[in-house]
Amino acid sequence: MPLPVKVRSFLRNLFLSRRVEADLDQEVHAHLELLIEENIRAGMLPHEAQRAARIELGGVEQVKEQVRDSRTGAFLDSILQDLRFALRQLVRSPGFALTAVLILALGIAANVIVFGVVQALVLRQLDVPHADRVMTLQPKDGGPFVSNPEMRDVRDGNTVFSAVADYEFQDFGFEAKGVTRPVWGCEVSGQYFEVVGIKPFLGRLLERADDDHPGASEVAVISWSAWQSDFGADPNVVGTTVRIDKRPYTIVGVTPEGFHGTEKFAQLDIFVPMANQASLDGFEWLESRSYRNLFSLVRMKDGVTLPQVQAELNAIVARIARQYPKEEEGLALKLARPGMIGDFIGGPIRGFLAGVMVLAGIVLLAACANLGGLFAARTADRAREIAIRMALGSSRWRILRQLLVEAFVISILGGAFACGLSWMALTGLASWHPPTRYPMKFFVLPQPSLILMAFLISVVAGVVFGMMPLRQIFKTDPNEAIKSGGSQSYAGRRWALRDVLLAAQIALCCVTVTAAFVSLRGLGKALTVDLGFNPKNALLTQFDLSQAGYKGDAADHFQRQLLERISQIPGVEAAGYANSTPLSGDTSVGPVFSQQSVDFRPSNRAFYIYRFDVSPGYLAAAGTPLLAGRDVSFADTTKTPSVALVNQEFVRQLFHSEQAVGRYFKNRDGVSIQIVGIVGDGKYFTLSEDQEPAAFFPISQEGNSSTALTVRTQRDTADMVRAIRNVVRDLDVAVPIRELGPWNSQLGLTFFPIQVATVALGLFGAFGLLLSIAGTFGLASYTVSKRLRELSIRVALGAQAKEILSAALGRMLLLLASGSIVGLLLGMAASRLLSAIVYQATAQDPFVLAAVTFTLLLTGTLSVAGPVRRVLHADPAILLREQ
Amino acid sequence: MSPEPTSLLQGTLDLLILKSLNAGEMHGLGISRRIQQITGGTFVVKPGSLFPCLHRMEEEGWIAAFWGESENNRRAKYYRLTKPGRKQLEAETKRWGRISWAIAQALEVS
Repeated sequence: MPLPVKVRSFLRNLFLSRRVEADLDQEVHAHLELLIEENIRAGMLPHEAQRAARIELGGVEQVKEQVRDSRTGAFLDSILQDLRFALRQLVRSPGFALTAVLILALGIAANVIVFGVVQALVLRQLDVPHADRVMTLQPKDGGPFVSNPEMRDVRDGNTVFSAVADYEFQDFGFEAKGVTRPVWGCEVSGQYFEVVGIKPFLGRLLERADDDHPGASEVAVISWSAWQSDFGADPNVVGTTVRIDKRPYTIVGVTPEGFHGTEKFAQLDIFVPMANQASLDGFEWLESRSYRNLFSLVRMKDGVTLPQVQAELNAIVARIARQYPKEEEGLALKLARPGMIGDFIGGPIRGFLAGVMVLAGIVLLAACANLGGLFAARTADRAREIAIRMALGSSRWRILRQLLVEAFVISILGGAFACGLSWMALTGLASWHPPTRYPMKFFVLPQPSLILMAFLISVVAGVVFGMMPLRQIFKTDPNEAIKSGGSQSYAGRRWALRDVLLAAQIALCCVTVTAAFVSLRGLGKALTVDLGFNPKNALLTQFDLSQAGYKGDAADHFQRQLLERISQIPGVEAAGYANSTPLSGDTSVGPVFSQQSVDFRPSNRAFYIYRFDVSPGYLAAAGTPLLAGRDVSFADTTKTPSVALVNQEFVRQLFHSEQAVGRYFKNRDGVSIQIVGIVGDGKYFTLSEDQEPAAFFPISQEGNSSTALTVRTQRDTADMVRAIRNVVRDLDVAVPIRELGPWNSQLGLTFFPIQVATVALGLFGAFGLLLSIAGTFGLASYTVSKRLRELSIRVALGAQAKEILSAALGRMLLLLASGSIVGLLLGMAASRLLSAIVYQATAQDPFVLAAVTFTLLLTGTLSVAGPVRRVLHADPAILLREQ
Repeated sequence: MSPEPTSLLQGTLDLLILKSLNAGEMHGLGISRRIQQITGGTFVVKPGSLFPCLHRMEEEGWIAAFWGESENNRRAKYYRLTKPGRKQLEAETKRWGRISWAIAQALEVS
């Protein structure tokens, strides 16, 4: 039975290796003795006999090694040996080991974290059954928005979709168990849950009948997490009555765990029939074709291809446009992947993530180049040891394997470390709530697949940098290496691989540093840019009166009363309210027509404007300068002629002159509106936007229950917040306040993308810098130590410091300079990618150029300073004696 | 004469070792000399080939090793044939017979 015997020997070789070794040693020595004895018997002299025996044997160690190679499990055994040796080596130089593991861990962690985010936001599909059949429809140009009648036409006129739905985000005043709090949810059309295709966790989901007509059924579905937090996971929640915006709704179901709406980064908690929107929102838009504020979601029938869908969609859209030329002219819909507000922010996010991924890859490459350089230098240091091992009969492959094992040990350790790091980072990111009132949440929980990813990256990295000394080993000539005492004469003479690696690495790091400075500069500019209002010393209070049941005149009355009461609070310099504030994210847009227009199709417009409804005093409270004309007034009512204040850009674009007060323009409905004042330009939707036209209408003429109360004061924030809250409570305790605090802190979302970009790029930049310092320092000290003897002879012969330096480090500086220049050029090219996220991103900025150059100079100086000192302070007498 | 003909014909050395041990237990040097003797000096087995082969065959279970004393009272490692080893010897002998016959036939043609 050969197998058990083999298994036994395998186990013996593995676990009793010491005894096996001793046995082998004795056997070979006994053999040698026998040979000698035989030779003596043949008549040789003892020393001749010994010599002949040794020659016949061919070396005790070699024979032993050959036996070892033939053993069962020899490969595993020698790998274990390599492993033990590698660990010993690392323990012997803990500084090197720690640096290497840390560098690699950071490099790998950067990649794993980025991959985790990419996976969550880009790669992963919506968490619904057959997600590949679910798409969204969005206008070919512009936002993700459609109107309800448009989607109804698509729903009723198609043969390619099994279900078509639209929905709108809404924050509701949600009253359960006597507590009212603002909760984000969705008004969804009848087929929404057919498109989504999930099964309810409890009860039922919303159905077509619920959305049949306004008031068809006042029912709501809540999310699993709302069921957990608001109802304590009460199994009898179905049938409970809650109040949504003061109206009684019956909870009919709970969505399964993990369903959080159909956006990848938002947590939505209530779903109500869209048919009831008028009673919830305070105004009616269900039948309006111009109210394009909805997102769509469609499920394609099985077996239908995308081109078929698009063709039919084009036909339907053409029909709609013919039927309603005024509202729908130029309508064009395309299919897109859902989950990113349609696919609206999908483009920029994918672009940014791709950029970051490239940077992470660069950082890892640089780390590998760095470690490769370190390894190559170490291998060169160990040239003598390697030569001796070869002379003793070790094969080149065996030595290479040894070095590879060492590289793997480092990379696996680094990978394990990186796993921990990225796990922490992603967990932190997942539980982080961005500074915004929107229900943003990143579903980036770390998954086991990331461990695999980290492992793969570390293996690849290990191979990449472990292979670098390959050429060195295969070139090693044992004779030469031992004779020259390990210091190969070519060190510092020819361009070695490690020189090229260093230059490449510096170039790569330079890219990350440039990107970091560009985004830092962008952030600086963004923070000082003229917003057109002054959020400093201003408080912003936001709520929607429709959530407390106020509509039309009642809302207007409430707002006026509120303003009166607020203005009486001591310390209030100015106060006013608007339907929304600039840069708050929910800014409305509308077309403007010239006074001569008679045809009000969208294509005939002069331009689109951002529009705000404001009360008297709002401009002063917001700090928006009134440049000409008058402020709006409560005397502007629905019974007086329509008036508006416009910004400078509006005037430039419509009249091409400065004079505008008293002139007219028309809105979509053909109403003439007189311009009564001009205000300063500002930013309205994003920081990075070009200057856009905007108009401010009297809220008393328009009527709006959405309220953003602005108060300018020098008083202590906390006091003022309390005072404002008391006034609102006093007027009606049921008004759910969404936000109340300094305006600055509510601009969080505006600065959010650029802050994220700056933090991410800054980290990469710092890491890149660290790498280039480590790499430069390592190579410089290596070069110096290799040539110290030669340099000291030169010093002894009277060479000047300058000559010594240029001999020792001249090439280093050349490498640094060329690497930096290439990197700077690459970085400038790469910075264009940043312009979508970062305000005025450009690397041609002299500040950026100067900062990058200065940083690199400083880095270079810092990293070669140590070796330079060593060269200059070397004492030739001591050195020459030592060697 | 090539010093390592075994590398040409895998298994030849195995067969020679088995055959030598068939005569009785012996130590490494003994096996080496025995092979030299029975092949009329055609094969000289170097320790570098012999020992790996012996250890491999031991792991296969064909031979067993034990420590003993040499003719001159020296400690030496002895090997002897096991039952599977004897079977292996028979099989190898047959196989070798077939091969040498086939080669001889092939060389006689033409």
